[in-house]
Amino acid sequence: MSRRSLAGLIAAAVAATAGYFLVARPPGNASYLVFYLGTPAVAAAFLAAGIAAWLRWPSSRLGLLFSLVGYLTLLPALDYLDDSAGFTIGNAAVPLAGAALAHLGLAWPTGRLRSRFERGVVVAEYASAAGFSLLGMLFWDPAFSGCDASCPANLLLVRGSRPAWDAVNALSAAAGVALTVIVVVLIVRHWRSARGWSRQAMVPLVWIALVIGAESVITDITGLYYLPPLANLVFNGWAPLVNVLGPMLFVISTVRARTARGALGTAIVDLKPGAPPGRLRDTLARALGDSTLQLAFRGADGFTDTAGLAVDPAQPDPGRAVVLLTGAQEAVLVYDAGLVLEPQLVRLTAAAASMALEHSRLQAEVQAQLELVRASRARIVEAGDAERRRLERDLHDGAQQRLVTLTLALGMARSRVAGVDPELEALIEAAGKEAKEALTELRELARGIHPAVLTETGLAGAVQALVERSPSVVKITEVPRERFPAMIEATAYFVVSEALANVAKHARGGTAQVSIRRLPGGWLCRSATTGPAGPGRSAAPGWPGWRTG
Amino acid sequence: MLEAAGFTVAEAATGAEAAETARSVRPGLVLLDIQLPDFDGFEVARRLATQAGGAAQAGGPVIVLTSTRDASDYGGRISSSPAAGFLPKDQLSGAALRRFLAAGA
Repeated sequence: MSRRSLAGLIAAAVAATAGYFLVARPPGNASYLVFYLGTPAVAAAFLAAGIAAWLRWPSSRLGLLFSLVGYLTLLPALDYLDDSAGFTIGNAAVPLAGAALAHLGLAWPTGRLRSRFERGVVVAEYASAAGFSLLGMLFWDPAFSGCDASCPANLLLVRGSRPAWDAVNALSAAAGVALTVIVVVLIVRHWRSARGWSRQAMVPLVWIALVIGAESVITDITGLYYLPPLANLVFNGWAPLVNVLGPMLFVISTVRARTARGALGTAIVDLKPGAPPGRLRDTLARALGDSTLQLAFRGADGFTDTAGLAVDPAQPDPGRAVVLLTGAQEAVLVYDAGLVLEPQLVRLTAAAASMALEHSRLQAEVQAQLELVRASRARIVEAGDAERRRLERDLHDGAQQRLVTLTLALGMARSRVAGVDPELEALIEAAGKEAKEALTELRELARGIHPAVLTETGLAGAVQALVERSPSVVKITEVPRERFPAMIEATAYFVVSEALANVAKHARGGTAQVSIRRLPGGWLCRSATTGPAGPGRSAAPGWPGWRTG
Repeated sequence: MLEAAGFTVAEAATGAEAAETARSVRPGLVLLDIQLPDFDGFEVARRLATQAGGAAQAGGPVIVLTSTRDASDYGGRISSSPAAGFLPKDQLSGAALRRFLAAGA
């Protein structure tokens, strides 16, 4: 809506309300004051709701209907004019606002009437209001209502007849009550048949319709009698208060949309990445306030929602609407068509769903990449481990064997020259000692590269050997006896080896305990020490699936 | 070297050959390398002991395991085998073997 037409609408509404106060005279009797002030209050509320509804739902007729009720509420004030035409129109227009209110109730919450029958009911409302009013005017002499000669004339009067006027009034009241009951019943049925967003939108209307309907029936019936001012106040004085509930419908629905928007924002923040789509749907449905929300993905044979129901985005069921989600996956949201009046809310929901799905997808991708990196790292370590094992074997089969042979040969040479050449014997003995030391050093080196005991006996034997070599008093409390893949054995071995080296370094003279345990999804390697350095736990090189403590 | 130290020596290159030779020669002492081409020295020691009706029984050979490696490289496997003991190869000598024979007798 352009700024100019908005200004026009506001000006018209203000002018109409101000005009009321220009023409209406304050009542002499204080008990009529509630109507004198209530009428413009109700009208102004409807006019304001009309403009706001026009701004919020430009495509809907709701703005028009709210405004219509507002203007028709003010129209009867014309009878204050000292002018016969105004007096006649004002009196004839009294029942019209009620008809427009019924129209609004039946058209809620989209602004459209749902069936031909309901269009018929609305036409009957307007026809009965206008028709009976005009018919009654033909027989109504203003004097019947206590008007003296100073009153302007009823221009429609054909022949003043109280019985005829009473009869028309009775018929009008009967038709009014019947139509009111029909409209209220229809509204309750709308509520009962609606689902999701629309059902929630119907809840306040049902209560308002019941109250306004009751008030309308009472007004119709008491209108048949002349009531003294006080009795009139008791029976009809609450009408303005009740009618103000009409514009409240707009306020409630606006607050609800705002609340949903806020809830969606919170839901987006709280959504756990990687949550299954079913939970995403539940979260969004709850935040949006549409329990019928469906989240559907394209599968091999068409779209299926999170509950497993087939969904056709090209032809949604009646009363449903579809929005496509952006992102790598082909997905749609199917929602209650009552939400078409809240496109922003739908856009926000779709954006939240797209973001959550995209987030989950990216997370899965990163997870997969991380797995690849992990696997490649494990392969590198495994290759390194194999290489160390090969080196140790080469040292053993090569240099160590040769040194052993050399030692033995030197031993034999020494025994040959024993007692013959003491100088040579001493020389050979020294050479033999050197060879033995070289052998010991080589053995230590080989063990550091890869412990042969690990290959030979597995983890239990290797840890036993470590403990025997350790200068500290170490107790093995738990070690699995079975064999494991070489890399796992090597890792556990080096963790314990490192831990025992630390024990020897920092807890000299203390005692230590070693336990290795296989846990679901990993290993626990624990070495605890007690000693001069106090209780402590070893650090160990990191390894996926390993916990050290 | 062993012959020089006064031993009569029968040689076998593999574990299976060793078991065969032990049956025919009935040696007093078996010097058994742990690294063999077919099965390892522990397995051979077990077979030899079974063949002789158990290590504890008299008449069986005294088995001495040997290796280029250190005893600690084999953890508890040496003590749990029926062998009388372990001798690193570089410490091999007639005198060392005689000590085992004396202990086994």
